[in-house]
Amino acid sequence: MMRALDYEVPDKLYYSKEHEWVRLEEKEAIVGITDYAQKQLHEIVYVEVQKEGSEVKQFQTMGTVESVKSVSDIFSPVTGKITKVNMELTDSPELLNQDPYGKGWLAKINLTDFKEDMKNLLTATQYADYIKSIET
Amino acid sequence: MSKFLRTTHLFQFHKQNAKIVEFAGFQMPIWYKGIIPEHMAVRTRVGIFDITHMGRTLITGAQSEAFLNHLTTNDVSLLTPLSAQYSTMCNENGGIKDDFVLSRLEQDKFLIVYNAANREKDYQWLVQNSKAFNVKVEDVSDNIAMFVVQGPNAQQTIQKIANADLNKIERFKCNWTKLAGFDGFVSRTGYTGEDGFEVFVWNTPLSKPENAVNVWDAILKAGEEFGIEPCGLGARDTLRLEAGMCLYGNDIDETTTPLEAGLGFVVKLKKDSFIGKDSLAKQKVEGIKRKRVGLLVLEKGPNPRPKQEVWKDNTQIGYVTSGTFSPILECGIAMAYVSIEHATEGGTVMVKVRDKPLKAEIVKFPFYDPTKYGYARQK
Repeated sequence: MMRALDYEVPDKLYYSKEHEWVRLEEKEAIVGITDYAQKQLHEIVYVEVQKEGSEVKQFQTMGTVESVKSVSDIFSPVTGKITKVNMELTDSPELLNQDPYGKGWLAKINLTDFKEDMKNLLTATQYADYIKSIET
Repeated sequence: MSKFLRTTHLFQFHKQNAKIVEFAGFQMPIWYKGIIPEHMAVRTRVGIFDITHMGRTLITGAQSEAFLNHLTTNDVSLLTPLSAQYSTMCNENGGIKDDFVLSRLEQDKFLIVYNAANREKDYQWLVQNSKAFNVKVEDVSDNIAMFVVQGPNAQQTIQKIANADLNKIERFKCNWTKLAGFDGFVSRTGYTGEDGFEVFVWNTPLSKPENAVNVWDAILKAGEEFGIEPCGLGARDTLRLEAGMCLYGNDIDETTTPLEAGLGFVVKLKKDSFIGKDSLAKQKVEGIKRKRVGLLVLEKGPNPRPKQEVWKDNTQIGYVTSGTFSPILECGIAMAYVSIEHATEGGTVMVKVRDKPLKAEIVKFPFYDPTKYGYARQK
C-alpha cells in the first residue's frame, strides 16, 4: 500500500483529481471516494448515489455526500451504466470514513470505454504526487 | 499571495490538534477529534472553545446606560452590576445590525461581546452613535482572550482553578476571579444551550499570549477527570442550532427584525426612544408576516441546508437559513423563515433538497428534550 502524507493510496487503482478511485473487475468497475476525500470531508452522515441503471459520464455528478458541515458532489471517474449501488451506505454512511476502499465502495459501473477514461485518470504514484502537491 | 489572516493566542495549540479553517478573517479550528464527538462531550460532559475571535468593547462613562439604551433593544436599566443580558441592536428599519451579550461590570462600565464577522461594523456603529453621549468606547478585543466552557461538568471544571465561588454566580450573572492565578472574569452564559461559563483572560495581548495559554491548559487539565474535549467552530454551530440560537449572517441580518426572528423578548418597546423603535413598534402593531421556526426532518435522507426552499402544498412559504445533522436527534434539523399563517408548531412542510421534497415538522426550540439536555435538565 502506497501512502501520501497521512493518506492511503492503494496500488492498482486509478484515481481522479476529484478524489474518486476506480478498481477494475473484468468488464465492470467499482468506484468510490479516496482516503484523502473522506479525511477532508470527515464524519460523513449521508450518501446518495444515482439509481441503478443510470448512465453516468466521466467527471459528471453521480451522487452527493454530506458531512455534518458540508455537501459535496461525487463525480464519476468513468463513463458507463450503474449496475449496482452500495445500499449499506444508506444506513451506515460512516463506512465511507471507516473503509473508503473496501466496505465504503459507492457503485459498480458497466464501462463504456475504459481506454478513453484512463487517459484522464491518474495511477497510484501520480495520485500520491498530486496529493502531496495540493497539501504542501 | 495568500491574504493576511489573524490568529488567536492558542494558534499553536489549534494548529497541532485541529483542522484549521478561515472564519471572519481568522484562522480558527473547525474540529479537533470531530464535530460529533465534540458536540456529545458538551451535551454529556464538558467542552472548551477558543472564541477570542469575537469582538469585545468596553463602554465607560456617566452616560453609558443612556447610550446603550439608545443603541440596543433590550432594557439596560434592568442590568445590575455583574449581570448580563442578551440583546440586539437594529438599524432605523428595525433590521438587526448584530446580536450580542452585554454585561454591566460597574454602574458606569459595560462590556459588549459581539460577533467576529461584525467586529469592524459594530465598533464603527458604537463610535459613531456615541458622539452625542458622555461615554468612552474602547475596543479591547486584542487585549483579552476569551474561551467558553460548556456542559454539565463545566462548573466543576472551572471551579478547580477559580478562587471565586461559582455557586454564587447564577445564569446571566458574572464576576471577577483569579483563574489559575491569572486575572480573569467569568460570565454564566454561552451559545450551546448548556450550563457553563464564558471565560475572559484579562491583560493578555497577542504579543504576550502566555496568560491565555496557561489558563487554557489549566482548564483542559482541570477537566481531564470529566473527559473534557477542546471543541471547534463545527460543534459550536451544531450545538447552537440544536439549542435554537441564531447565527448572525444566517438566521438574522439587517433584513430581518428581532420580532420576525422570535427575539421579541429582547425588544423593550416601553423604553424611551432607541434606534429602530418606531419601525419595530409599527411592525408589532401590524403583525409580522413571517417568522423564524424550527424544522425537524421526519424522514431519513439528506440534511436541510441554508437557502433551500420550504413548501406547503404547492406554494413556497419560506426558506431555510441554517440546517445540519443533529448529533443528539440523529436526523436533520433546520431554522427557516416561513410565512406567518404557516408558522404553527406541529404543522408539516416540505424542504426542497436538490429537487427532492423532504418532509419536516415545525417544532419549538430547543430541538432536544430540555428535561434531558441543556442548562435546565433534570439532574
